[in-house]
Amino acid sequence: MQLNHAQRELTLKIVYYGPGLSGKTTNLRHLHAKASPEVRGRLLTVETHDDRTLFFDLLPVFFSTSSGFKVKVKLFTVPGQVIHNATRRIVLQGADAVVFIADSRRGATADNNAYWRNLQENMKENNLDPSQVPVVIQFNKKDLPDARTDAEIEESRRRGGEAVVGAVALRGEGVLETFHAVAQAAYRRLDMRAHLARNLGLTEAEFLGQIFRRMDLTGTALAAMYGRAAGEARSGDGR
Amino acid sequence: MNGASGNGASDGVGASRRESVLQRRLSLADMLDLPSFVEVVRSFSELYRVGIKVMDTAGDKLADVKVGHGDFCSYVFGFPEGRSRCTATVARVKDGPVAPVQSARPARGDGAEAAGIIALPCFTGLRYLVMPVRWEGDTLGRVILGPFTPEELADFPPSLTDISGVDLSRAHELVGRVRRVPERTAAQVLVHFGQVLAALVASGQRAFLATQLHIEAMLETHRDLEANNARLAQANTRLKELDRLKSTFLGTVSHELRTPLASIIGYSEMLAEGLAGALNPEQLLYVRTIVEKGESLLNLISSILDLSQIEAGRLRLVMGPVDLGSVIQTAVSSVAPQAQRKGVELEVRLPPLPQPRLAADADKLRQVVVNLLANAVKFTSSGGRVSVVMSEATAQKELAAQGYRVSVEDTGMGIRADQFENIFQSFYQVDGSSTREHGGAGLGLAIVKSLVEGHGGRVSVESEFGRGSRFTVVLPLQPPLSEHGGFSALAPMPSPGGQDRF
Repeated sequence: MQLNHAQRELTLKIVYYGPGLSGKTTNLRHLHAKASPEVRGRLLTVETHDDRTLFFDLLPVFFSTSSGFKVKVKLFTVPGQVIHNATRRIVLQGADAVVFIADSRRGATADNNAYWRNLQENMKENNLDPSQVPVVIQFNKKDLPDARTDAEIEESRRRGGEAVVGAVALRGEGVLETFHAVAQAAYRRLDMRAHLARNLGLTEAEFLGQIFRRMDLTGTALAAMYGRAAGEARSGDGR
Repeated sequence: MNGASGNGASDGVGASRRESVLQRRLSLADMLDLPSFVEVVRSFSELYRVGIKVMDTAGDKLADVKVGHGDFCSYVFGFPEGRSRCTATVARVKDGPVAPVQSARPARGDGAEAAGIIALPCFTGLRYLVMPVRWEGDTLGRVILGPFTPEELADFPPSLTDISGVDLSRAHELVGRVRRVPERTAAQVLVHFGQVLAALVASGQRAFLATQLHIEAMLETHRDLEANNARLAQANTRLKELDRLKSTFLGTVSHELRTPLASIIGYSEMLAEGLAGALNPEQLLYVRTIVEKGESLLNLISSILDLSQIEAGRLRLVMGPVDLGSVIQTAVSSVAPQAQRKGVELEVRLPPLPQPRLAADADKLRQVVVNLLANAVKFTSSGGRVSVVMSEATAQKELAAQGYRVSVEDTGMGIRADQFENIFQSFYQVDGSSTREHGGAGLGLAIVKSLVEGHGGRVSVESEFGRGSRFTVVLPLQPPLSEHGGFSALAPMPSPGGQDRF
């Protein structure tokens, strides 16, 4: 988190981590498509020549609070390919929360574990305390054969302290829910540390509302929480 | 205390790493390739014949193209009152808020409001349009279009005409060179410029971040490699030290074993010779067995001692003129009984006179030939043949010098090509199984290699598996001097790699 009282700016960093081809970029693309242009910047995607070797993506989401603070949430993906560990470590620097995109298929278990350990190592390298930086796990590709069942995912959730969300990112299922879970976790962590509600007048309800009321939540459970305003945002968008 | 310093060190590592560019707030200049951006601004200005300035939030000019208004403005600036009014106007345009306050109002035109464009009057009646450069919710700077002459301007306002000394006809003449345009059109130009600028910033940001991150990743990888290298170097130093300790240990232990063993053999021999009274045939057989086994154990220990001394770099060669032919003859006679017992034919082919002489350590050379012959006999079955052939003193391509070539050839079981490297390592056995047929500690060839190389020579092997082997030793007439002025056998290198050059 970067908090600049003089400029009245708060910048948060959320990093989407996980094995190659697990769906990190797909998550960001879907969020970009669902966010109204007034709260999101361009989706910056840096690819190397081989188009599967993504270098990183960046999607900024921003708003101004009722108390006049500018809040920017920067969403990053790390490159999944093994050789890019140095880049992963750099992108992870200063993260306020992490989404770990796991591949739900049972055959991907070893890969998920390897990248989970890699995440722990790189957090340590960046002086990020895993007990302090919230991690949300997304079980993506739930629709594929060989994917874990809901019961298995539930069991996996019980094994650790992280929030767990099932997803089919290509169809947009679970993507907004994952982002909601990680944004909420990031807010709560920063509120504990920097007392955002008390010092900035930024409550959790406003933080989440400012973002999610400006996203198209149609078809998700979140629509009931932010639904009415989301409709306004859509019509305001002229679409 | 330890814990405290440990923490300090890890903090130091974290602090020494640079903050990533991803953590930094980028300025407009970071995200634009300035020379090409200036070109774009220039072509815009020339196309619409209006000046354009682009400034970042720090007030630095990134681009500044003046078109048309220069002469008029200089003329007005030439009067003291004009100068002070001009300075105030420019200050408002450049540093004032980009908001409809302090004499500014929202500009007219399609999209002007959404882009946040304001219109600012100049005291001369000319006009500026100012647009904020917004990026992801941040304001990174401003674009100033103008001054231009608003189309509706009929005549100069009093704020110009009341300046004493201004020649209005001259002012009219000069203002004619300033672009006359409706505010709407100017605002449209500015909106369009903003769209081009946004596209340039997007691609510029992408290029900037990608490049910077590539560099950071490279530095990070470099840091990792350096740390790995340091760890490996440390491990290597430790292994070398352990290796030296092993050799010293072997040397010491071998010596401590040899002394009592020599007594055992000596006393057994005295018993066998009847010095302590006559033995019955059975006792004699037992005692002779003790002597025989004691001697093979002593040989083994001597080999270990030799090798450990070579490895510890302590073996010194006593050099003198040596008749290589007689060295070979002596070696052959010492393995002859063994060959005879086994039914292996021994053949020696030496060149005719003159006497082959070279500078060497005779004892060590004999050991070389004995080891090769003993191996050949050991691995050749009954009815086979072992031959030792020596060349004349000729130029040897392996040494790039004059020298002798000694080959020991057998018709034994042979060696697979993939074992050629390994057989010269200490304790290596081609047949490593515990049930192997042939005894030995696997030191013979390692000693041969060390001794030959200590003489500046080379040893090599050729073999056809199942048909036989040929070991060839090439020795120079004169071994090269070692750095101490004496000769010493080189310790075998524990790993491949060059020797120190300086």
